[in-house]
Amino acid sequence: MTGIDNDQLQPATAPTEAKRGWRMPEEIGVIVALVAMMVVIGIARPRFLNPINLFSLLGNTTFLGMLAVGMVFLLAIREIDLSVGWMFNFSAVFAALLMVAGIDPWLAAFAGVLFGAGLGFLNGIIAITLRLPAIIVTLGTYSMFQGLSLVVNKGRAIVPADQSSSFFSVISQKLFGLVPVAALVFIALAIVMHLVLHRTRFGYRVQAVGSNPEAAEHAGIPTAWVKLQTLVLMGAICGLSGVMYVGFRGAIDPNEGGDFVLVVIAAVIIGGTPLSGGHGTIIGAVVGMMIIQVISSGLIFFGIDATWSTFVTGAVIVLAVSLDRLIKFQRARRAERSRETLRR
Amino acid sequence: MTVQPILLVRNLAKRYGGVVALDDMNLAVEAGTIHAVVGENGAGKSTLMKVLAGVVRPDAGVVELDGKIVSFSGTNAAREHGIGMVYQELSLFPERSVLANLFVNREPVRRGLVSLTEMEARSSDLLRQLGLDVDVRAPVSRLSIGERQLVELARVMLERPRLLILDEPNSALNSRETERLFGVLRRLRAGGITMLYVSHRLEEVFSICDRITITRNGRDVRTDDTSTLTIPAVIEGMIGRQREDLFPPPLPQTSDTQSQLTVSNLSGGRLDSASFTARSGEIVGLAGLEGSGVSELLDMLFGMRKSRGGEVRFPDGQGLPRSATDAARRRVCLVPSDRRRDGLMLDKSILFNLSNVAVGARRGSPLYSARTALERARRQIDALRIKGAPSAPANSLSGGNQQKIVIGKWLEIGPQVFLLDDPTRGVDVGAKREIYSLIRRMSAGGGIVLFSSTELPELIGLCDRILVVYQGRLIGEATGSQMSEHTVLHMMNTGELLAGPQQTPSPHGTAA
Repeated sequence: MTGIDNDQLQPATAPTEAKRGWRMPEEIGVIVALVAMMVVIGIARPRFLNPINLFSLLGNTTFLGMLAVGMVFLLAIREIDLSVGWMFNFSAVFAALLMVAGIDPWLAAFAGVLFGAGLGFLNGIIAITLRLPAIIVTLGTYSMFQGLSLVVNKGRAIVPADQSSSFFSVISQKLFGLVPVAALVFIALAIVMHLVLHRTRFGYRVQAVGSNPEAAEHAGIPTAWVKLQTLVLMGAICGLSGVMYVGFRGAIDPNEGGDFVLVVIAAVIIGGTPLSGGHGTIIGAVVGMMIIQVISSGLIFFGIDATWSTFVTGAVIVLAVSLDRLIKFQRARRAERSRETLRR
Repeated sequence: MTVQPILLVRNLAKRYGGVVALDDMNLAVEAGTIHAVVGENGAGKSTLMKVLAGVVRPDAGVVELDGKIVSFSGTNAAREHGIGMVYQELSLFPERSVLANLFVNREPVRRGLVSLTEMEARSSDLLRQLGLDVDVRAPVSRLSIGERQLVELARVMLERPRLLILDEPNSALNSRETERLFGVLRRLRAGGITMLYVSHRLEEVFSICDRITITRNGRDVRTDDTSTLTIPAVIEGMIGRQREDLFPPPLPQTSDTQSQLTVSNLSGGRLDSASFTARSGEIVGLAGLEGSGVSELLDMLFGMRKSRGGEVRFPDGQGLPRSATDAARRRVCLVPSDRRRDGLMLDKSILFNLSNVAVGARRGSPLYSARTALERARRQIDALRIKGAPSAPANSLSGGNQQKIVIGKWLEIGPQVFLLDDPTRGVDVGAKREIYSLIRRMSAGGGIVLFSSTELPELIGLCDRILVVYQGRLIGEATGSQMSEHTVLHMMNTGELLAGPQQTPSPHGTAA
């Protein structure tokens, strides 16, 4: 039996090893899809490919895109945070109120980020002490944050009166008159978070817990602590996105953020992060968010009624996950077949 | 033997890709007997059963039922020919009632509605016959494991099979439940039902079966009446080499650290007030039936379960770990018995899995270095001879190689205390041997090794002494010449020490 195993396995392992060197990045599929969409729209409406348009598109992606970056960690650890939109809103309202109260906007923005982290901490501490999935906890805190935010903003947009601070000008500035600073912050965040996911102990633990919580526990991985850290990180990113929104727009609407969560999750899933946990791609999530943006703005370019964009976005999600399923199914079948050969 | 066999299997062959599962399998089962098929993992017995149940189609060979050649296109075809299969893993719906489970997919209907009364009427006789006296409208989850096994059996019996295939039917049962099941099987045999019985537990095979077919490497090696066979003869037939060969001899101590694990009056879960010590350099066996409390003991020592009372002193001078993370940081390791659920991240690579403890549990630099992880993987793949590339996913490996990953991820941190919960479960003989020599090395390197197993021969072949746990109590210890299968089995099953050197027959032999 062992003799057979030896003969069978040795040749089988060699190609796997060799393949690793030049394997295509897994995000190649969504990247190709994004480029293809842009080319198609660009051929029909060349104005679309104007750099000014493209960069403003990127700018619009910023706030939701940052949330998507954080959500990748949640999905990778096999959790979902539903409260992101209201953490975004509440942190923005909090920071804006501090600015209205006369506190230095930079300081207020910093406090807003911490405030977001605090909201995430609240989610996390409830989830780990009660051993509840984050999706259930945040189903509750979703309304709590929404309600509290509404109480403090009294249903009106918060507009910091004095916008002379460098905070507003820096965030809303465009480098070379073209590239929004906010978008640069977003790209920087994505790069940092990509490294955090793949090159840090924390990122490793997130994937390990998401892949198999039981085995993670048995390997001595502090699963509750990792879960808490992930939810705090999500909160902090919501806070960052929120205060940047205040800096970018100069105000925060009472309802801004309410419809974010599903778009954010959609972007992450279009990007290729599975709901089953253990694995995530930041690059995919960023590209996924861009795809959603390109669709809605592409429709406008084609003169199609903007009300269609919601439908098309949904259709793209269904299409993306169907393709993903198909590929996974085929891969699993191939793996199954090779396993059958190896075993017994 | 002039009796016409009810089932005849001739020259059955089945290959999965390049691997031969069945080579030239022959089997003749006489009506009204219980016929055992034994063999190591990978010997081909599960594939044989799958062919008979219509799950797998053979590449070559013939199956005859009552002298007529049959070929099954699927499980339903096998069922129609009167073959009933009771699977090792229970396939019941725990939240549904006993009745609902008995009539899954063939619920009797009256006036367009599923009729519970009809179900009850049809099954009550059978349930009485099986000795299953439970509320049939209550959900299955309220039943004990033994009763669930009987429900599973009843479900198959409702189809009135002529040939019943039992694949390790008692793997989850304690000794009393096993006795009860065996009583039922004996009654079924008296009622003329023929049974094929697949099991790892030879003592039980000997107590219940009339004939035994030994399989090895996809062939039948020997078939004989139980009365003409002995356990050592069967084992020899199964592994095809001398048993001593399987267990590597103790290695010379390579470390002169002297450390000790002291447990006094430890209670928790099922375990009640256990006291013992284990020293570095020795392998201490833990024997006990499923549910005896051995797993709880190991879980407590690993910090996965809270203790109710008692004191423990680890070699580092501290007590029980507060959590598994604490245990890992104090170099206490546990190899869990359920490898796929608790030991592996199946969709992740070998490399990822091997970093579980070193990166996941231990403190250190906040960065994760892919290069260090690759070195780590290469090191363990070489040391443990894991057959796979670092990037290969864990679920592409065989059971033995998977288990080596579980062990390897701990070896990375040089544990002082090894808690091994049935580490050879479901691995083939070759891998078993390698795991045995790993355990020898752990002990020779100055580690404290607690080794629990469901297979007595390996406890006896490997351990310096065996602690026996019976229904939560640590009832004694077998050392030296006492470490025979008889003594330990007796202690495991009855909770009493065997009186005197004159041994009574095996506990299953006389009970009916």
